[in-house]
Amino acid sequence: MPRLVIKDLKKKFNNTWALAGLNLQLNKGEIFVLLGPNGAGKTTTLKLIAGLLRPTEGEIIVEGINLSRDPIRAKSFLGYVPDEPFIYNKLTGREFINFVAGIYKVGRKEYEARLATLMETFDIGPWIDELSESYSHGMKQRVIMCQLLLHDPDLVLIDEPLVGLDPKTSKTVRELFIRLKEDGKTLFISTHTLSFAREIATKIGIISRGQLKFIGDIGELSRISGKKDIEDIYLKLSEDDAAAGVDPLLSSPSEQ
Amino acid sequence: MRDFLLIFRVRVRMFLASIRSLSGIRAASFVFVICCFILGAYYIFIRVFGYLMSVEVIGPGLLDRLIEMALFVFLIMLLFSNVITSFSTFYHSREIDFLFSLPVPPTSIYLAKLVENCLYASWATLTIALPLVIAYGVKTGAPALFYPLSITGIIVYMVIPAAIASALIAVILRIFPKLGPREVIIISLALILGLTYLYIKINNPGLLKIFETENEKTLLIFASQLTTVGGVYVPSTWLSNILKGFNDGASGIAFNFLLLLFVTVSSVLISFMIARACYVRSWLSTGEHASKRRIRKSLLFHPPRRAVRTVLYKDLLTFVREPTQWVQLSVFLILLAVYILSLRRTPIYFAFPLWRTIVAFANFAYISFVLATLGVRFIFPTMSLERAGIWFIGSSPMSFRKILLTKYFFNLITAVVIIEALLLTANLFIKIDTGLHLLMPVFGLFVAASLVSINLGLGSRFLHFHEDNPSRIAAGSGGIITALISIAYVGIAIAILATPAYNYLSHTFMRMPVNYLLVYSGFVLFILFNAFTIVIPLRIGIRSLERRDY
Repeated sequence: MPRLVIKDLKKKFNNTWALAGLNLQLNKGEIFVLLGPNGAGKTTTLKLIAGLLRPTEGEIIVEGINLSRDPIRAKSFLGYVPDEPFIYNKLTGREFINFVAGIYKVGRKEYEARLATLMETFDIGPWIDELSESYSHGMKQRVIMCQLLLHDPDLVLIDEPLVGLDPKTSKTVRELFIRLKEDGKTLFISTHTLSFAREIATKIGIISRGQLKFIGDIGELSRISGKKDIEDIYLKLSEDDAAAGVDPLLSSPSEQ
Repeated sequence: MRDFLLIFRVRVRMFLASIRSLSGIRAASFVFVICCFILGAYYIFIRVFGYLMSVEVIGPGLLDRLIEMALFVFLIMLLFSNVITSFSTFYHSREIDFLFSLPVPPTSIYLAKLVENCLYASWATLTIALPLVIAYGVKTGAPALFYPLSITGIIVYMVIPAAIASALIAVILRIFPKLGPREVIIISLALILGLTYLYIKINNPGLLKIFETENEKTLLIFASQLTTVGGVYVPSTWLSNILKGFNDGASGIAFNFLLLLFVTVSSVLISFMIARACYVRSWLSTGEHASKRRIRKSLLFHPPRRAVRTVLYKDLLTFVREPTQWVQLSVFLILLAVYILSLRRTPIYFAFPLWRTIVAFANFAYISFVLATLGVRFIFPTMSLERAGIWFIGSSPMSFRKILLTKYFFNLITAVVIIEALLLTANLFIKIDTGLHLLMPVFGLFVAASLVSINLGLGSRFLHFHEDNPSRIAAGSGGIITALISIAYVGIAIAILATPAYNYLSHTFMRMPVNYLLVYSGFVLFILFNAFTIVIPLRIGIRSLERRDY
């Protein structure tokens, strides 16, 4: 059974289509990286899958469960990290993580084992008991990564995972994502960091003006665009798209 | 000055943009609700002032005392509200960090924030003060000049507490840079309370004495002969002298107006000078010292076993760690305690049991009204305060229905404790009969359940995710609409109970036969009305949360 199936997903804000018919299927052990310029529809897509936006049309199916029909069961498989790491200012990092553990009903043993590992991995121990109002953007991002991994979701949704992280933590995150993939988790990541996409993605999607213009692996992407470097490919596709104003030479959105 | 105008213009544009973004219906309902509130307050003042004017000999004097007392209370309330909103406006907003990074003089930032804070903290008081002053003018037959001059006077008057509060906080932070917001607000409020008490004690000790008499007329004469409420050195006296001047034949109007204007300008200038000396340093100290403390023991130090408990613990922790929340709640509760204790004297004033029963009903209405106010201030912002975690809650396997119901029962328990404690203590002091003693807490239970539902449900309908400060969330358009719906609820609930209450009074004190049909149908209607006001707002809230985009 595919882990995530998206069928004809559309989202309209006022009179603008932010997402104009997205089709996608992801399986276990895949890392899907969604690339696209600002305002292309990346965050909208992630928020729709996380259940933070209501689709105008279309379906999202997580582990065979329709998100609109049974959101609570579908969401129990999800873990979401937003692009802006908000945490309750008046809670400490530990309290926020425990709040998440309480909502997801993480068992005592798993909690203790995972928290100890995560605290070491993300090096949050020195300040985890301070109120989060004193945290920097990167510190909050690390706490949010910890809460995500604490409840061990099967489908991980991450919007701009590297923003605000120092090089050491960025490297840790990269390695962690690869390990999650090897453990059979599915990752859906939106980013502007093309080198990051090249390093970890098993599948890449390029979205522009609410439409998925390309979906495939790096090899297919290079073949279609005629460029080898991912930066050149991305820029070529963006330029073509901007010049044409409609679908460029790329393939139309396809169901994989 | 140019920078100040620029910052202020941006604020005004943001405000206008937020008004333009309102839908036509919402904007119209907002204006309608505000107009209803002002007109309703005006009507009540006209009736009360009309009655006082009709009381021979002492009526006009009592009216003047009432106006003086109201203006003095406004001054203290404005000082309190300015202190509570000052910390977040001047030190703890995301915009402040940005403004300090710009090549703008700190005094320009200070002035822009002073105007903003003054408007935020004062506009609710203005909606009460305006109908009060206009009703006074109408009832005393004041000339046309009274209205522009008194309204200008009120607006000028509101600037003084804003300037004092901001200067006070800047000075405290400059002297004690390591203090957090909680300590600063407590010290400021304690200073204001202490100085007010001392001032009254020295200047007008008669105001603090409790007068004991069974003779109503003697009491009224005593009240009318009280010296000026605040004394000659407080702005409320000057403002009330302006208002009374038109009534007394325009004596001293110009002097008092110029005095008020002079003191307002002086207070702004002094606070400006204090800001020039302290503001930057005090702002820096809040960033350096405020929030580095470690918390090794708390309700969420370990994950709770149940999701419902997790939400409760989180709400409790965020509440007790937010000074603007619990400081205001404490002030409210202290004032209520003072009010309830003052009821101990009621049997002295009103020896006849009929009066005691009427006082008990009036007290029930008043306590319900207080609970409505508390609800808007503390329960209405609850869901909006989830802003920081809405990305998590929305994507988590806990339904909005469950979250809202958890918050509902938590707030209900708190509201029931408050209303029942107030009702039971007050009725004990008033010495009402056993039947009413048992019945009123039951009504109180319904009132608490409805008011919590109205505030929580509509708070979820009118979410305000762009604001961190709960006072400001409550002061927004959704908060005002909810406040007025809550007050309307209290009015209707009391009106429904009036029929059985009237029957009870006529039977007990006038030996009239009881109309059981009217009594029972009154109770049934009360229950049905409350069933509606409990279920519908919660439903609106849950539906709105589930259908919303985040």
